[in-house]
Amino acid sequence: MTNKVLLKGNIAIAKAALESGCSCYFGYPITPQSEIGEFLSSEMPKRGLGYVCAESEIAAINMALGGTATGTKVLVSSSSCAVALMQEALSYAASDELPIVLVNVMRAGPGQGYIYPSQGDYNQAVTGGGNGDYHTIVLSPASVQECADFTQKAFYLAQKYRNPVILLVDGLLGQMAEGVEINTNPYQEIDNSSWRLDGNKDRTSRKIHSLEPNETALNKHIVEMHKKYRYIEENEVQCEEYMLDDADIILTAFGSLSRHAKAVCNYYREQGVKMGVFRPITLYPFPKKRLSELSLQAKQIIDIEMNMGQMLKDVQLSVLSNAQISFVGKPVGSWLKKEEIINIIDNIIKGGVNAGI
Amino acid sequence: MQVFNVPKSIKKDCTFTFCAGCDHGVAIKLVAQVIDELNIQDRTLAIASSGCSVLLYNVLDVDCIESPHGRGCAVATGAKRAFSANGKDNIVFTYQGDGDFASIGLAESMHSALRGEKITAICINNTNYGMTGGQMGPTSVLNQVTTTSPMGRNEQYHGFPIKTAEQIALCDGTCFSARVALYDYKNIINAKSAIKKAFEYQIKGLGFSFVEILSSCPTNWKLSPQDSHTRIKEELSKIYPVKVFKEK
Ligand SMILES: Cc1ncc(C[n+]2csc(CCOP(=O)(O)OP(=O)(O)O)c2C)c(N)n1
Repeated sequence: MTNKVLLKGNIAIAKAALESGCSCYFGYPITPQSEIGEFLSSEMPKRGLGYVCAESEIAAINMALGGTATGTKVLVSSSSCAVALMQEALSYAASDELPIVLVNVMRAGPGQGYIYPSQGDYNQAVTGGGNGDYHTIVLSPASVQECADFTQKAFYLAQKYRNPVILLVDGLLGQMAEGVEINTNPYQEIDNSSWRLDGNKDRTSRKIHSLEPNETALNKHIVEMHKKYRYIEENEVQCEEYMLDDADIILTAFGSLSRHAKAVCNYYREQGVKMGVFRPITLYPFPKKRLSELSLQAKQIIDIEMNMGQMLKDVQLSVLSNAQISFVGKPVGSWLKKEEIINIIDNIIKGGVNAGI
Repeated sequence: MQVFNVPKSIKKDCTFTFCAGCDHGVAIKLVAQVIDELNIQDRTLAIASSGCSVLLYNVLDVDCIESPHGRGCAVATGAKRAFSANGKDNIVFTYQGDGDFASIGLAESMHSALRGEKITAICINNTNYGMTGGQMGPTSVLNQVTTTSPMGRNEQYHGFPIKTAEQIALCDGTCFSARVALYDYKNIINAKSAIKKAFEYQIKGLGFSFVEILSSCPTNWKLSPQDSHTRIKEELSKIYPVKVFKEK
């Protein structure tokens, strides 16, 4: 018997965070993620844990800096334009090597935009929205079940690599209810006694800082960070492959849109077209090697996104063959329908033109 | 005979890199003495801010994290909440400049006070942005000449300075708010007792405790250390009264 319950993605994230041993949540309201904070505002005090309705997203993410520095698991959630406010502290967290878990339930931008679905924050998350030479690990769920599972994974990876992790969630998934089972945390606890700041009782005092006036030391620190990123790129890449064994047309899509891509793929398979879907799950590190391999057998790669082609650049960098790369996208609003995508893809297959809506 | 002792909570063999005559050295020494006297060195977390005050972490022998400019009280809030979620009674304090605390970080500072966060904030008021070379800050007084108010701070053109300790005292979550100075022995003794009280209030869990320290900045004021102290005594402490504004 399973323990499946019907939950919104936002609530699944909050419950999974508690299951991961998260003991503090800091946040400020913004649609479409407010349910995370609302749910935890009753759960945290009940359990004697920390919850602060922060005065701003800037404050919330800085509270997370302080909280994680003590070795405590902290969750912060927000959305697009407000995640933009958090970038300074996220850059500090990367340099300080603090394991902040940040959930971005995306809305449409730029600027205030609106609460329509969009995948417009791929670049913000993947290329590091803050200053300096750093990366955050980025996980992209495609279902409510994955919202829960990847939240647990986010806490694990954050602790394991002492690096901020972003759970990049489609607004649709935050708001949509699906059957989900909140599993007991499958990951091992990572010992943080070598770096956390909890008082110098049995050791010398420690300092956590990004400021480094010594040029040699600053160079060394950044090079070390990048050694860690190379290791993450070798070991933590995750992707989903659907009907790719013999595919000569590969659809690439991330997040919930990958589910539409699969439906489109099923349609073409029925027509005898050898199509498959490649779905990056870790957006950083991007599954570059695997896409490169797959592209050798492909004639066409068609990237589908709810933006104007942000992941497209990573796709282009990965494809080493002469396969033609096209893009199907729409920046804002209701997801591209299966039929809409099929119309455009029919054109691409016939004439090979790039198309957007 | 040994007259002066280096407090236990000052790192052995550390180098002070503050400018000659700067009051940071005295302020940090007082904090260290208080930490020693309250016997909290092994459970104290210091939050150093952006500005000259960040150098605290090179000299104070407690765990320390540097905060982004202005966000010290938010970082402290997160740390204190995390400690308490884990059943720990660690002491958390911020050591911030006036630009840090009362300009870029005013929202974080004031909301921490309003929430009554059980943390202590120490704010060094040197009436300018020290580390960046003495620009006009939120506490620069009327007529003060700085690199960005070369004709002097003008109330019509630049607006008014903030009276930080008074403002923080107005917040209901504040249990202790005081302004102190360091220009003579008597004031130094009073400053120490205010800092001690602020930490004691935190230990008792009564709310947000705050000490503003009027401090000299001879380099940017372009005054000798002696004349800097005279300025604090004769001019600044008239505008910024040295006083306890709130004690719960
Ligand atoms: C977001 C941000 N803005 C500006 C700076 C540059 N900066 C560093 S220290 C400082 C001034 C600090 O002044 P104050 O807080 O009064 O402290 P003091 O140096 O006088 O002790 C500034 C503007 C920064 N580091 N970060």
